[in-house]
Formats: sequence, C-alpha cells, structure tokens
Amino acid sequence: MEQEKMVEELAQIVGKENVLSSETDLMLYGYDASLFRGKPDCIVLPGSTEEVSKIVKFAHANMIHVVGRGSGTNLSGGTVPTKGGIVLHFSRMNKTLEIDIENQRAVVEPGVFTLLLKNQLARYGYVYQPDPASEKVSTFGGNFGENSGGPHCLKYGVTTNHILGAEIVLYDGEVIQIGGKALDNPGYDLTGILVGSEGTLGIATKLILRIMPKPEAVKTMLAIYNSLEDAGKTVSAIIADGIVPATLEMLDRLTIKAVEESIHAGFPLDAEAVLLIELDGLNDGMERLAERIMEICKKNNAREVKAAKSEAERAQLWAGRKGAFGAVARLRPNYLVCDGTVPRTKLPEVLSKVVEVGKKYKLAIANVFHAGDGNLHPLILFDERNEEELRKVHLAGSEILKLCADAGGTISGEHGIGTEKMKEMFFVFTPRDIAAMRKVKKAFDPEDVYNPGKVLPETEEPLSA
Amino acid sequence: MAKTDKLISTLKEIVGEASIIRDPDKLRAYALDGKQPKVAIFPGKIEEASKVIAYANQQHLAIIPMGSGSKMGIGGIPEKMDIVLSTRRFNRITDCDSDNLTLSVESGITLNEVQKHLAKEGSGYFLPLDPPYTDKATLGGIVATNSSGPRRLLYGTARDMITGIKAVFPNGDIVVSGGKTVKNVSGYDMCKLLIGSFGTLGILYEMTFKLLPLPEKEATLLIPFVNRDEVNGFVHEVIHSEFIPASIETLNVVAVKKIKYPVSMPANGNYLIAIGLEGISEGIERQVSGLSNMGKRHGALEAVTLSSEKHHAFWIAIRDFPQDLREDYPNLISLRSNFLISKWGEILRNYEKIAQGSGSDYAFICHSGNGILYSYILPEKNLRSKIGSLIETIEKLKSEAVKNEGNLVVESSPLSIKKKVDVWGQSRSDSQIMHRLKEQIDPAAILNPGRFVGGI
Repeated sequence: MEQEKMVEELAQIVGKENVLSSETDLMLYGYDASLFRGKPDCIVLPGSTEEVSKIVKFAHANMIHVVGRGSGTNLSGGTVPTKGGIVLHFSRMNKTLEIDIENQRAVVEPGVFTLLLKNQLARYGYVYQPDPASEKVSTFGGNFGENSGGPHCLKYGVTTNHILGAEIVLYDGEVIQIGGKALDNPGYDLTGILVGSEGTLGIATKLILRIMPKPEAVKTMLAIYNSLEDAGKTVSAIIADGIVPATLEMLDRLTIKAVEESIHAGFPLDAEAVLLIELDGLNDGMERLAERIMEICKKNNAREVKAAKSEAERAQLWAGRKGAFGAVARLRPNYLVCDGTVPRTKLPEVLSKVVEVGKKYKLAIANVFHAGDGNLHPLILFDERNEEELRKVHLAGSEILKLCADAGGTISGEHGIGTEKMKEMFFVFTPRDIAAMRKVKKAFDPEDVYNPGKVLPETEEPLSA
Repeated sequence: MAKTDKLISTLKEIVGEASIIRDPDKLRAYALDGKQPKVAIFPGKIEEASKVIAYANQQHLAIIPMGSGSKMGIGGIPEKMDIVLSTRRFNRITDCDSDNLTLSVESGITLNEVQKHLAKEGSGYFLPLDPPYTDKATLGGIVATNSSGPRRLLYGTARDMITGIKAVFPNGDIVVSGGKTVKNVSGYDMCKLLIGSFGTLGILYEMTFKLLPLPEKEATLLIPFVNRDEVNGFVHEVIHSEFIPASIETLNVVAVKKIKYPVSMPANGNYLIAIGLEGISEGIERQVSGLSNMGKRHGALEAVTLSSEKHHAFWIAIRDFPQDLREDYPNLISLRSNFLISKWGEILRNYEKIAQGSGSDYAFICHSGNGILYSYILPEKNLRSKIGSLIETIEKLKSEAVKNEGNLVVESSPLSIKKKVDVWGQSRSDSQIMHRLKEQIDPAAILNPGRFVGGI
C-alpha cells in the first residue's frame, strides 16, 4: 500500500496528529540502541487497546508488518523495522492503571517507564523487583518483549517471574486476556511464552505485575580487587558458602575509569575490578551475613571491602553501576555490548578468554556484568565511522558468544536475539529446536505480521514431518 | 488383532521385549477413567522414546505419558488411549552442579530421591518444591502438572525454578529449550509452555533446576483462631508486613481432624493457621516471636511452635493431605480454586455456607498468601443419589471463584462426576490460541488427547 493511503487510513483510527511519516520521523524511529538501522513506512501512536486492535486489523488485512516500540532502548535490533511496516509506538499508552496493594498487583499500560512505577510503589512501601539498568526510560511493554533482567535477577528472578498476566492483541487484531491477577489459571502458560518473544508473537496493551512489600533492610558493599580473576572467584565462593545475595555486580578497570569521570561513584581508579554486593531481607542476622561476605572477599584477595553507610552512599554506588554503559561513551563513540551468559563458576576462565579476543582484534573491551548469574556484558569500544573497526567488532562479538556457548552458557542473557544474534542461535540450538519455536510462531502469528525477521533464523535443513 | 500385533512388534523392536507390558490383566494397573491401553512401554533411552512417539504420530496412536501415576486422575477423560509411555527408567541425576546452584535430572526420578541426594551435597542444598505425593511423585509429573505446595509462597513454582528442558515433541523430535544459566532469553521460552502442559505438547525427558542452599533454621507456628474475621485480619497483616514466611496455610476444623499429624486444637478453635518459616537463624527467631504476638493481637488462641522432626512431619502431612484423605475416602472430590489474594476470607466464608447446605463434610486448606484454596468434599456412602447435587455444588463453588477473577479445577473425583463436569472450569478468551498451539505442535493429537483445558 502507498504510504499516503496508509497514513490516511491510520489517521482515521488515531487522529492525524498521531501518525508520523516525515523523513525525519522515519529516521528517528528506524533505530534503537543496537547498531542496526531500518526504515518504517510510518509511525502510529495509539491511545487505547481498541485503537491498537483496529490498527493491527488494518495492517493484517493489507499485509503490512507491525513492529511494537516503547522507548527503543533495545540492544539487539528487536525494535528496528528491518522490513518496513508500521512502528506501533506506545508513548501515549503510559498510564499506571491500578496499584492494587491488597492483591499485591499493579496494572500498567505498556508505555509506562519502569522506574516511574517503582517510584509510585515506594509511597506504599512496595516494590516491583526487576531492575533493568535502563529502567529510567525503558517501558513495561519493552520489558515484556525482552524478558528484561537487571542486577536483582540473582535473588528475585527476571521479568517473566513478575508478570502474571496481560491483555494481548493478536496478529489479526483479536484481543485476549491471558493469565491474570490470580495465580494458576488453568491452561498453557501463555504469559510465559509471550514474555521475551520480542514482539513477534503478540503485542501487550496491558500488563499485570507482581509487587511485594519492600525488604526491611538492605546492605550494600563494595569490594576492590587487583585482579579480575580474584573478583570472579569471590563470586563463586560467596554462593558456595550458602549465601544468595540480592545482587552481585562486577565492573573492570576500563569501565571504572569511564564511570568515575562522569558519575564519581567512588570507585577507585587503580583497581582492576570492583564487586558491588547487596544483601536484602530482615535486619536480623544481616550484619553477620555481611561479615561472612567480607571475609570471603578478603580470602580471595580483595584489597579493601567497604559498606555503604547511608542511603545516599548506596545510591551513589548504584548510579555508578547503572550509568556504566552510558559512561563508556566517553572512551569511544560506539560500543557493541555482548550479552553472553555462562555458569557462574566459568566466569574467571571466560573472562580471560574475552581479554584474549580483545587483544586478537586490537579492540578495547570494558567489562560490566551481573556476575551473580554469570551474565557478562563485554562492551567492545569502537567508532562506527571506521568501517574496518565495525567489521572487526562484529567478528569479536560473535567469537565471544561462541565462547559463552562452549562454556555451557547461552548467547543472550537479557538483551534478546533481535536481528543481531540470529545467526548465533545455532551456537545453542539445532534446526529441530528452531523448528519447534517456529510452530509457536505459526500458532500465534501465521502470517508473520509481527516484527518479521527477528529471533528465529532461517533453517535450511529438511525438517521432520 | 493384526493392528495391535503390528504395534507390539514395532515397539518390541524399539524398546526391547522386556520393556513392554501387553498382558491385558497386567494392563489393568494402567487403566484410566474406564479406559485401558493396548500396551505399556518403558523406554530406557530418549532415542527409544523418540522413535516410539514418531511411530505413534504416523499411525495416529494416542500416547499417555506416566511417571509414578500419582496425578493421572487429574484432567478430562482421555479420548483415546493406545500406549502408556512410562518414564520410570529415566531416573538418573545427569548433572549435579551445586557450585553453580543447578541440577539436571531425568523426568522419571522422584523428587524425594533428589532431595535426599542434594542434602548430602557439600554444605547441603534443596529444590524448593513441596508438592503432594512426597514419596512417589516424579519430577516429570510434578513439572507437567505444575504441582506445588505451601512453600510456593516464598519460592514460587516450577516456572520460577526451571532453566532448561529437553523434551520429545509429538513428531518425535528431541527439542532443547533453555539451558543451565539463570538468565536466558535466547529464542522463545519453550520451557514455560511445557511446564504445566500436562503432557499434551511433549514428553519431558530432562530438566534443569535452580537450587538453593539449605536454610540455616526452620520452624513452624501453629496458631488457632475462633473467628474467621480474626484469621483474615491476621493474615492480612502478615502478608503486607516485612516478615517473609515460607508458607501460610489455613485449615478448617475438618482438615485439622483429618490431617495425619497430631495437631492439638483447643475445643473452641475453628481455624488453624500454620506458618512455615525458614532462613537465617536470627530472622526465624524474630519471626516466631513477632508472629505469635501479632496473632495474639488479632485474638488468637494459644500458639504452638514446632521445630526439627515435628516441623518436617507436620509439613509432610500437609503436603500429602490429598493422598492420605483418599485412602479413607476413595470417592473423594478435591477441588482447587484460585482467586484474588485478598478475597480468600470471603471466599472461605461463602464456601462454608455452600458446604453447610450440601450435607457433606468439607475439609478446606488455603494457601492464604497466594489466593489458592483446596476444598475436599468427603462424600457419604451413597454417591449415586448425590451426583446431581454435587455437580450443582461444584458449579456454585466455581462461580464464586470466577467472580473473584479466578477459576476452579476439579483435581480428582469419581468418574460419574468427571463425565458431567468440565474439570478445567470456566473457559476464557485465551482458549482459542491454546488450541492453535496444540494444533501446530501436535497436529495428529496423539499426546493425552482430550485431557486438557478446552478438550485439548
């Protein structure tokens, strides 16, 4: 369909002012936080589930693709309209519909920023546990699509453990309710299969979240190391001692440098690595656990361990961790962040291999990661205007993912496959595994309306009947 | 019969003669809802299971997967029943990596055996699952039925613990989803689809779980109450407080009488709250005294604390309540209602009213922090005359749950009732997409046909 006609028809549904199609708009909504670029046919900003349903119905009837978008902070190209189509942008559907403390649930529209809800909940002494680093600006719709993680995953699980239901618009515009505020609704776990499906199976127009009372106490510690390996060993040692902290994050020297220059979190510039450790729960016994942790750090050659003495100090330490990605922009204009995950005990060995990859391709790599759950984020630094560097960066990234897969891990811990890691899917899956996933796609979206060309790679081998 | 002979000879080729039961007398033990399979097989390797399933797919033969059979009664009456596929020989621990807090096991191993093994590993670990059938239940069956117990309040259910699954799909494909890592968003989360799918999408072969270190200390508080409003008030305060109980169970008098643990309830007590606590020693001590005092403020009668063996024995009795009860009441009807957390007191009140009107005894056990209530109807001798009114009662109980954004599942009942009710409760707007999933994954409808939601 011609763009002009498309815009006209969509304007009938959402109003002229909510359909964007200028060249600038097409460029602005053609990229996300990855290195990929695309170009949509137009961008639509719906204001209600009904509008979303009508838009999708229209798209389906006219064989136009639909790509959902929150804030576009996606790191693997999941939000990039690589095959054109309509970008369905949820910035107008940004209301917190309900904070239901009595039933320990919150209901939000997909465009609500994660941190915004968390701040609203704080007034009631309640929390939503997942804390992706992008939470200031990333949306629940995006969290839903990517199954976002964050530092608290070690103890509390990921987004899928905290989304209990949703209102979904299917490929033909049909609206269904899945899951709910109540637990254990009979049938398949549709919420579970949809979370992390990267906008390829259905679009959420309402999300039902699990919320809980804020833990009574929290203790945040910073352990400082002269070797990356010692920090890695500490992580395993803490878990082996029977302690499961709320978070266990690691930053390396290069990252610390960038962070201190921009955020001044109090990380020492001459450290090879720092570990940010946090305990939460009841006050009773926390001091004892914290001491045990500090002992383990020292046993593994931490040169210093300090505990945050106030909420302000704690916030400062976390600002350093959460601002890490943004801070490395000071070092080089672009980064490619890898999202490989390995079993925790393999961290030290994989880390040293990552360093080797950096040397091999002569690329600087800053390391930030969720050490507690083995989710690495090597940030390969470069300048995308340098074509040769860009080429090497992709090779290095792929090699790092292979390392992770070979170490018994996986290629994406939380950022998604998108378009970026489709070819690497074969590092961890066989064509038969992909075929099984494709059946799910066929069930939900038989005509490939939603976010085509993402997640599932093409398989050439003949598939069994 | 030529067809059956061909079937038997093909199966013999795949699994070996010793792993087949074809004698009709012996097959009676594998009957379900009045139907009997043509053969029961016990594959020893996943490749054998794969070949059998591929063959069944071609021949449109219905396969009924089975672990120890503890939960075979749940679900609708099977449309067809040709082959019972037992996972009994898939009973190994394939990878116990306590340093990484992961465990991989084959689906036919019992949870009990796994827990015993884990307790002895290093400084001691466990799988935070406490479903019924403590001795018998296999992990495959537990995961396929999404079976859980009181400690789900703190630890969640299978979907919160599984990081990877290897399953045989209806076309015979061996499919892997997830893996060993806690974080994994590579591709679709097929594990979630398989968990609780009642063997209708694939047969679980191997699963990887997250482990936890054994808690430092455990204790139980048993707090009796006279008055339901007081119980409600107490539970309300607990769940919104900073306390982190592992479980909060409410039992009515009938449940207290029938549970296989000697609970001493004061004569005027009508409800018993059992709170399970586990974690750091100082935290447990604080919560025991804190919750006792809180209970008193809400009008509780004398509380009792249990620890060590008594604590463990009590929770096994709670977990195994349905199977213990069925030994005394073979015609037991057990129902699971789910609903909004805050409505449990109101729903219990309405259920009690309905129970009084029905003339039968009802045992109620409620996961009061989760919004899940188990109702056990103890039917009198002459069941046949009561069927009509029992069905009417079940409908009333269901609509009460549905009114509160939930549903009701008939988990076990005599066949005469199963034939007349939809055991899976009210159907919802997501029913059609579930059918589409089943059609794509199992187009020949060979796995457990007719037993799941919506007649899947």
